[in-house]
Amino acid sequence: MKWFVAGLVASSFAITAFAEGENVTINPPADGSVSREDGLAAWQRIYEVTSHPRCSNCHVGADNIPMWSGPSYGKARPHGMNVNAGESRIGAEYVQCATCHAYREGSNDRPHAAPQVAMNWQLAPVEAAWFGKSTVEICNQLRDPDRNGGRDFQEIASHLDHDLILHWAWNPGGGREPAPYSLQEHVDDVLAWGVAGYPCANDE
Amino acid sequence: MRLLVNGEEREVDVEDDMPLLWVLRDELGLKGTKYGCGIAQCGACTVHMDGVAVRSCQVAAASAAGADVVTIEGLGSPDALHAVQEAWVEHQVAQCGYCQSGQIMQAASLLETNPEPTDDDIDIVMGGNLCRCGTYPRIRAAVKTAATKLQEA
Repeated sequence: MKWFVAGLVASSFAITAFAEGENVTINPPADGSVSREDGLAAWQRIYEVTSHPRCSNCHVGADNIPMWSGPSYGKARPHGMNVNAGESRIGAEYVQCATCHAYREGSNDRPHAAPQVAMNWQLAPVEAAWFGKSTVEICNQLRDPDRNGGRDFQEIASHLDHDLILHWAWNPGGGREPAPYSLQEHVDDVLAWGVAGYPCANDE
Repeated sequence: MRLLVNGEEREVDVEDDMPLLWVLRDELGLKGTKYGCGIAQCGACTVHMDGVAVRSCQVAAASAAGADVVTIEGLGSPDALHAVQEAWVEHQVAQCGYCQSGQIMQAASLLETNPEPTDDDIDIVMGGNLCRCGTYPRIRAAVKTAATKLQEA
């Protein structure tokens, strides 16, 4: 299980390297302190987040078309306006995401307006396509460095800490339903899942 | 704050979060850019920022400071129309005309990125610019004509 080995190797230095979160506390449980059962429970909460529309609508596949789905939208459907983010995943080939999802500091309080954050709006990389996928599928993606940006669990936590577009999921404004739990709880679950050895329900 | 609009440095006294559209129309008197919806759903307010189409109703004034902003007034002039504007006249695209400055700015941005757009390319890129008169077939034709003009220029 290369992800497990990679996680163990990385954890010894990463605890120091990533202990000081800027927006959340990154404080992993001690090695060996999280059981597989508790790790799987943490994963199920992580899956609730990763499969939530605030996250999965932009974690889409190679058609590069973001989705509009979730309680704010009713029926799931492709992003309006014939939007296609292209292989660039930022819309460079067509209309840039930033054409409407402009750089903005502060909250998104206007219903129906394009969500905005203080960084470039973009789709997640195609290898991180989650929309419509099962808990087992996403679990295996997220523990695979080839499909998670080469990250161990602490680097995933750091990614959650620093990438402001991710924070929007918990503060979407405009009447949109936020992702479940809180950013800190989600980070804590990622850390617990990693310390537990990245268990997925399909493991023997 | 100082803004560069259509090649001219302009000084405006506005809140940082005033939409660029408001600055252009109410502070600088550039009324060619239209207010349609105010929430990036219609494209009527499209201008260029550093050569890229943006919905000016969504851009905070502070974000535009330091950028090169071009509006429909700066794209071409009556004596030297931009190729897209020429094509718009040739195809008599406009019906009521309210959306056309946004359409033209989006089309000009498209041709900067993609000099030979297919019908699909045009439909994707222009899909965020609504025309309640339904002039879409003429918009597509004019974009193709403009592409040819720019290739031959």
